[in-house]
Amino acid sequence: MADRPGPAAGTAPPRGGAIEAREARLAWGLVLPALATVLLVALFPLAWTVWESLHLHDLRMPWLGRPFVGLGNYAEALGDPRFLQAMGHTLLFTVATVALELGLGLVLALALNRAYRGRGLVRAAVLIPWAIPTVVAALLWRFMFDAEAGIVNAVAMGAGFMDRPFVWFVEAGAAWVPVILSDVWKMTPFVALLLLAGLQNIDASLYEAARIDGASAWRQFRHVTLPLLKPAILVALIFRTLDAFRVFDLIYVLTGGGPGTSTEPIALYTFNSLLQNLRFGYGSALSVLVFLVTFGLALLYIRFLGADLLGGGE
Amino acid sequence: MPGRRSAGPSPVPPRHPRGRPAAPAAAVSAAAVSALCVAAVALAGCRAEAPGGPAVVTFPGSAVGAEAVVLRRQLERFMEARPDIRVISRPTPDAADQRHQLYVQWLNAGASTPDILQLDVVWTPEFAAAGWILPLDRFAPDTAAFFPATIAANRWDGTLFALPWFVDVGMLYWRTDLLDAAPRSFAEVERAVARHVGATAPPDTAGGPVPRYGFVWQGARYEGLVTVFQEIAGGFGGRILDERGRVAVDEEPAIRALTWMRDAVAGGAGPRVSPRTTLTWHEEEARFAFQNGQALLMRNWPYAVSLLATDPDSRVRGHFAIAPMPAAPGGEPTAALGGSQLAINARTEHPEAAWAVLEYLTRPEQMLERAALVGQYPTREVLYGEPELAEALGVDPAPVREIIARARPRPVSPVYTQLSEILQIRLHRALTGQAEPADALADAAREMRAFLRKVGLAPDGEGPDGG
Repeated sequence: MADRPGPAAGTAPPRGGAIEAREARLAWGLVLPALATVLLVALFPLAWTVWESLHLHDLRMPWLGRPFVGLGNYAEALGDPRFLQAMGHTLLFTVATVALELGLGLVLALALNRAYRGRGLVRAAVLIPWAIPTVVAALLWRFMFDAEAGIVNAVAMGAGFMDRPFVWFVEAGAAWVPVILSDVWKMTPFVALLLLAGLQNIDASLYEAARIDGASAWRQFRHVTLPLLKPAILVALIFRTLDAFRVFDLIYVLTGGGPGTSTEPIALYTFNSLLQNLRFGYGSALSVLVFLVTFGLALLYIRFLGADLLGGGE
Repeated sequence: MPGRRSAGPSPVPPRHPRGRPAAPAAAVSAAAVSALCVAAVALAGCRAEAPGGPAVVTFPGSAVGAEAVVLRRQLERFMEARPDIRVISRPTPDAADQRHQLYVQWLNAGASTPDILQLDVVWTPEFAAAGWILPLDRFAPDTAAFFPATIAANRWDGTLFALPWFVDVGMLYWRTDLLDAAPRSFAEVERAVARHVGATAPPDTAGGPVPRYGFVWQGARYEGLVTVFQEIAGGFGGRILDERGRVAVDEEPAIRALTWMRDAVAGGAGPRVSPRTTLTWHEEEARFAFQNGQALLMRNWPYAVSLLATDPDSRVRGHFAIAPMPAAPGGEPTAALGGSQLAINARTEHPEAAWAVLEYLTRPEQMLERAALVGQYPTREVLYGEPELAEALGVDPAPVREIIARARPRPVSPVYTQLSEILQIRLHRALTGQAEPADALADAAREMRAFLRKVGLAPDGEGPDGG
């Protein structure tokens, strides 16, 4: 097959061969730079990471060499309680933030969709949290939840909820409160914006018809808004789930994964192993595992929801 | 077994072709940045190094603040005295772990620059075992003039690999306007806090502000916590590794120490011995609290002495003193040894020139200047008898000298950073109430033993089950 003349053999019918072959060559020539770029920046590092993950490679201990250990690093990860806990934390964070952001984002989008004066201004203002860099937002929230100088403790003490400052960041459970709240605060506007775009695509005459038929506001929402908003909801869901699963900077700044490791997500543990401890082999194995999980999530979404997403289906 | 080879070319093959990605995906950007630095400096070096020109050595250091100023000044004087050597500064991060990470990447890549490395005291064994730094014995340094502990911490396998530049020790800061004497035992710490902090404290004091906190220390999950733990464990007679390098952190005295720390932040009905917020603090947060008169006692390094004594904003000027850390019966006052060391890259092209820089920077005059400008304590013991040091520091160095003389290095191990990380997590879990101290330390010990076995560093006496 490789010996046959014509690069796109088997795909193009032989009729008018010369021109088509030339066009195919041109097409390949045009696509090649893009393909090469993808290969270089996406596939090559990925393949390298997979290869690295099959070795024992610790930069701090050059005397160990770089022996091939097969799936040893993966076996270590699956038996490593810190890895499993980090996966659990990531799952908790993802479920909690995505659920809250979708719920609040929907409410916000419905409110923004109403016609009122100054709507443009309000829409722009709502986006401010989203526009703030994550590290800055995380610092803001850390100061707000600071035990001594933070506004949260000041308000709670003023209202009589606590008699001495509560140190949020040393309690394994309570440390999650600023983590989840800050992500919800920051990302809800993004979800709202996506949903708002979906809402504006819904034909107003559908609501008119529903009203004439005597449908209540709830029935209109349930049977007109929600079904037609589904594609937008799915887009928001995919974006937020994949993002939340890879959360890093927010938690790095807010809690550093602490107290102990009780808020450490998988991305932070991977960063620690790979770049802090310079365990290239083990850290690469963790990276590959994270990649597999996010890839699997993406496939699931596409498999079950893709039909709606692509506007086909029903 | 670790490669104990030390001299000569590093056993690590160069694995880092410049400009080509040679690291896994997530590390690519970091590696690329360091590769760029290496390339940029190499270029600068090439240009400066015309045939017959001066030998160029690169020195990584702090880019900001008084430290950068004093270093620049000293290097300029050095170059005036030695026109045959040119020193180029390479700015590096101040945060220890970031600096460590950069160094390890550079040295793994077989870079010949920076020629000189500025090491934290716990990195010397790691870099020596890896063959990344030159043994210094051939330059015949005058080690007898230095504090013995600072020299011991820089030996690996009996060979000296770095010169101590300035020294840090953990010590107890206490309020002289409130207390008649420094608490010498943990029970005395508790009594002092109970008397002077909280609702029952006498409202008027001899001049200083009334503290809200008792004993503040570095309790965040980082290296500082391990040093505090080492000191309190020493106070109870415990330690992290024993003299043969076996893990001893799960023994009774260490458990008692961690239990005391946990109880100090947990508190009962009365005021806590230590505020819970100290579990999020590093050196500076503790210093701010003490400097503002909010704390009765503080554990910190010596750098705070000059700041507390001379800073116009300090509310404890004239109201504080330092003392050794407290100890319980069966233990002794313990100070963790910290500080900065200078070492030479094993791949340097100019070992002699690099040594000349090291030798110059560790001379008494330069140490006195550093003491005066950045409050760092000299590693040369003889200086502590001279009036110039007291003048440079603005305070009497004698109490600090006593503490340094008794300071203990942290475990001397080429894998110290990993052992420390294991310990940091378990300590912080116990202190924040997620695990009982005995369980946390048992877990830490198990993990440390397993790790030492895995990398072939378990001492002979350690059983196969790590018992």
